[in-house]
Amino acid sequence: MKSCVMGIDFGSTTAKAVILDLGGRMLASQVAHMGAVSGEGVAAAIAGALDAAGLAQADIGRTVATGYGRRMLDIADRNYTEITCHARGAVAMVPQARVVIDIGGQDSKVIAVDAQGLVMQFTMNDRCAAGTGKFFEVLARAMEIELEDMGALALQAQQSLKISSMCATFAETEVISLLAEGRSKADILGGVHAAVATRTVGLVGRVGRKGPIVMTGGVARNPAAVHYIEKALGEALILPEAPQIAGALGAALIGLDDYRREHREELEGDDALEAQMALDKACVPGCRGVPELAPPPATAPRGNAAALWKRIQSHL
Amino acid sequence: MEQAAEIEEIIGSLARIAECPSDYAADWESRTGGKVVGILPMNFPAEIVHAAGALPVIVQEDDAAISYGRSLLHEFYCGYTRSLVDQAATGKLACYDGIFLVDHCVALLGAVDAIRFELPDTPVFLAQFTASMDETTTRPQIAGRIGELRQRLEELCGEPITDDAIHRSIAAYNRNRGLLRRVYEMRRAGRIALSGRQMQALVKSAMVMDVEEHSARMARLLSLLEAQPPAPSAKVKLHLSGHFCHAPRPELFDMIESCDVTVVDDDIYTGYRFISTDVPDHADPVEALTGWYFARNNNVPCSTRAQKTVDWESYLGQALENTGAQGVIVLVPKFCEPHMLYYPELRKEFHRRGIPHLLIETEHEGLALEMLKTRVEALVEVIRRPAVIREPA
Amino acid sequence: MSVTTESANHGPGAPRPAPRANRLVSTRAGGEMVRNYWDNLFTARERGATVVWYNGAAINPILQAAGVEWCHGEAFGARLAAMHLEEPAQQEGEAYGYINELCSYARTTLGCALLTRKEASRRVEVDQAPGVPDKEVLAARLPPPDLFVNAYAGCSTGQQWDEISYRLFDKQLPFFKVSYPLLWGNKPDAGYLRGEEWDNASKYVAGQLYNLIEFLEHQTGNKFDWEGLRESMHYIKRAAQLRLDALELCKARPTPAVFWDWVASIAPINFLPGNQALVDYFQGVKTEIEQRLEQGVSALPNERYRLAFDGIMNWNKVGWLANKFAEHDAAVVCGRYTHNSFWHEPQLIDEDDPILGMAQHYLLCPFNHSAQNLAEQVLGDCETYGIEGIVFHATRTCRSATNGQLVLAKMAQQRGLQTMFFEGDVADESFYKDEILQSRLEAMLETIDVQRTRLS
Ligand code: SF4
Repeated sequence: MKSCVMGIDFGSTTAKAVILDLGGRMLASQVAHMGAVSGEGVAAAIAGALDAAGLAQADIGRTVATGYGRRMLDIADRNYTEITCHARGAVAMVPQARVVIDIGGQDSKVIAVDAQGLVMQFTMNDRCAAGTGKFFEVLARAMEIELEDMGALALQAQQSLKISSMCATFAETEVISLLAEGRSKADILGGVHAAVATRTVGLVGRVGRKGPIVMTGGVARNPAAVHYIEKALGEALILPEAPQIAGALGAALIGLDDYRREHREELEGDDALEAQMALDKACVPGCRGVPELAPPPATAPRGNAAALWKRIQSHL
Repeated sequence: MEQAAEIEEIIGSLARIAECPSDYAADWESRTGGKVVGILPMNFPAEIVHAAGALPVIVQEDDAAISYGRSLLHEFYCGYTRSLVDQAATGKLACYDGIFLVDHCVALLGAVDAIRFELPDTPVFLAQFTASMDETTTRPQIAGRIGELRQRLEELCGEPITDDAIHRSIAAYNRNRGLLRRVYEMRRAGRIALSGRQMQALVKSAMVMDVEEHSARMARLLSLLEAQPPAPSAKVKLHLSGHFCHAPRPELFDMIESCDVTVVDDDIYTGYRFISTDVPDHADPVEALTGWYFARNNNVPCSTRAQKTVDWESYLGQALENTGAQGVIVLVPKFCEPHMLYYPELRKEFHRRGIPHLLIETEHEGLALEMLKTRVEALVEVIRRPAVIREPA
Repeated sequence: MSVTTESANHGPGAPRPAPRANRLVSTRAGGEMVRNYWDNLFTARERGATVVWYNGAAINPILQAAGVEWCHGEAFGARLAAMHLEEPAQQEGEAYGYINELCSYARTTLGCALLTRKEASRRVEVDQAPGVPDKEVLAARLPPPDLFVNAYAGCSTGQQWDEISYRLFDKQLPFFKVSYPLLWGNKPDAGYLRGEEWDNASKYVAGQLYNLIEFLEHQTGNKFDWEGLRESMHYIKRAAQLRLDALELCKARPTPAVFWDWVASIAPINFLPGNQALVDYFQGVKTEIEQRLEQGVSALPNERYRLAFDGIMNWNKVGWLANKFAEHDAAVVCGRYTHNSFWHEPQLIDEDDPILGMAQHYLLCPFNHSAQNLAEQVLGDCETYGIEGIVFHATRTCRSATNGQLVLAKMAQQRGLQTMFFEGDVADESFYKDEILQSRLEAMLETIDVQRTRLS
């Protein structure tokens, strides 16, 4: 029996990996930014997580993949959709959450979840960029500011402007004409964020407000997006410390369930684990926010990346 | 083995006809010298065209990208209506000696008016069936409209349509629907494992072929299917709902079925909705066809009708109970007004009954299948979750 | 509440003061009448009145004579959009599951229905927001219905929409539907106000109106007031004739009033009670126009182009569009929505026996015609008013208003008229694209200029 499981979220702009021990404690997590779906990115994330945990691929008993590229990863034993995994991961981080807003690079989704992190209902934006990270990117470019600075600037808005178009292309023209009119960048950005917020609240409406709302995904790190969504919702969002890894964590947890069930007999001797498993139906035991990082083992094998990359490359 | 091959062969040939109805129509016309009448969904009584000695063909959406049709119909119309207009604008409706319709979905009317403008020499006839089923004035209206249809078809075909001829046509169509329903029953019972693509080919070909010819092939197919061993499936069982006036793309079925899914039932137009109801017995054939209009909506309610006494959502709930389907995929053609209006009512009922469902908006321009696949897989994961995720007790 | 600007290009930094539309003053009185009507309706429940929610044709004289108060759903949706207060209702609708490509009138009004239900169940005191009307509160102020009547011509969605209203109130309330055949023209004798089809359709609808009256009597227990109906139709007929006379006066060049002024007069003629006040209102409008003609006052400071507007109104943008066209010296003189609608054939009404004439007006909904019929009316008006170009409002979520538009444009082009399309919507401003309107309008006006030099 192996000692760990891994979850990998092979996303459109970033790759994330999470490693858990069989007690559900997080040994390592890694986020790699690599542009579009990229094998290199996912290899870096996996290798980074393994290195940080001081483990080798061989120590991993079960690997579950999620995200757009999930089917391309032959090192994964199983794969699940990002919907199932995000729901699971978000509830593990924030046990009281009943709705998950996840806004990533290419899509935004809202998932209603139950106490065990199981999906009750979900909805996603359509194939256009409306209300996603991409939307912000296009508009940041139009306004000639850095994507990272966008949020802070938007929070300085004095006047609320209304950006009515949610099509990235038309919003771009709208923004340009507002600039030409002499509106401040801050005000315009406020309008842009408010527009995304309205869109998001629409999605929340579709699944229904079932309880506390947690926000995950890259856009959760943009304070203006959070602010405007909170304003539009009229309630506070719960933000996990590492919102980006929710999918990978969920994948790892599903892998953990699977692996532990398979090795039920062998695990029976371990009292501590037993007790945990009894407590733990679907969540990480005793979890408050992000699972704690266990100290890495002393003997940390290095150099996983090159070998892994080779393996993955052959399947892309 | 041989039987399986023959099954494939029959369904394959029907699928080819359904793919290209105009080829079949041209061939039929040259064989019989009869008129070919293009009819439009959803409640058209094809029997009356058949009784006139003509071939009724339900005009289908076509795969071609919309080109000249763009100058006749706005882009925010459903794919079916845009395709109809584009077919007119690109000469593809030339095989029809007339276009007839009874339904008055607002998008359909806009499309047909554009077709009439584009094809001034083709007779286009609207016998508008009142959509509100509740008022006492509706029934006589429908009968009157069928009478007008009859008259117009007599003019077109140059011969009177006798009551006897209509009765014979009704019998032929009832038989055909009965044969198709038998296949549906077998699918629901897990006796056969035909794919969604194949099931659609069976119904779609019935919409465009001579009814007797179709029934002959169906009868043979049924005898072969009945001799097959049962094909129970361990996959997730789903019901497909929506698309109540035209066919969803077969790729969509393929994609859905590739997610470890068996479709056990549907209420789509090119599916059970089309074959659900036989024309009731009545001495007066026009009365009989009128009765059929009302009976259809009682059996499988459609959101294009306005009827206080039936609900699509209760029908669906019942259908799911009957087949044991574990979830529903709702296929809404983008811009389809009646469906958009009704969807929240369906959703409410699904929630009430705890039925997982997924909404997919389809478009003429094709679908982002990869993205949709993720959603279907997520639905499957939701349905499967107790088995996969929860610790065994 | 936050301050919102209407859209792009309208900021403090805008250059030279653009010419603006010189709107009629008399129509303001209509605004007042309409506001009073709604304020009164909001208290219907407190006054113990029976309330009918209806959509589609102007059946209000029938409802009035049946002794009930009437609430026109679409009109309320339009009002919210015109006041920029549609959002809460639309959000409520979206949360309920409506996709934003659905008719925005329906979405807005169904959203109001949901809010009304919420309010009713909470028994909230509605008037707690002094000064600023709270957005959600206004959308939620409709009195809950006692009955539904649907009378929607020309649009299947219009009928289905009330099938849903009926379901939103748990299928508990009485509900009557009037159905209309589209004036389609299967036979050669068919045309505007003529042919067998027109006669049959008129009779079919009239028959349904008699059934509606029976239904109302049965449901309310009130005896139908035929005398009252004749009286309100008498006033409505007079008001309608005054409106038509006033429209006629706009044949003058430059025109004394424009389409946007007529838009402001829609609500009174569409659902206010038929009485002397209504007649006075239209008399006032007519008089103001006559005065303008006498004094040589025109609607635009420099009318250079005469245009027609086709399609349903873009309620979010009425003032905005009025100024936009004025900026370009383009007088929108007539339009299908104002000129081919709202009791516009008053000679059809027999004051002693008004039902048939009423039925015929309901059938004459500007969206209940074949393209051929439309051409007869719209292109006829273009000739009457000396129009050079038609502006089509490609109304994103209203198939019934856009049916036939592209065909009509082709027919207009054959007659040498210029045409352009711009995108927008009845009650959802996210579909309005200012850049498209701007560039296409400029292009069309340039073409008209070129055309003129060729002709001269
Ligand atoms: S019912 Fe829907 S899909 Fe069919 S024609 Fe009407 S809008 Fe299109």
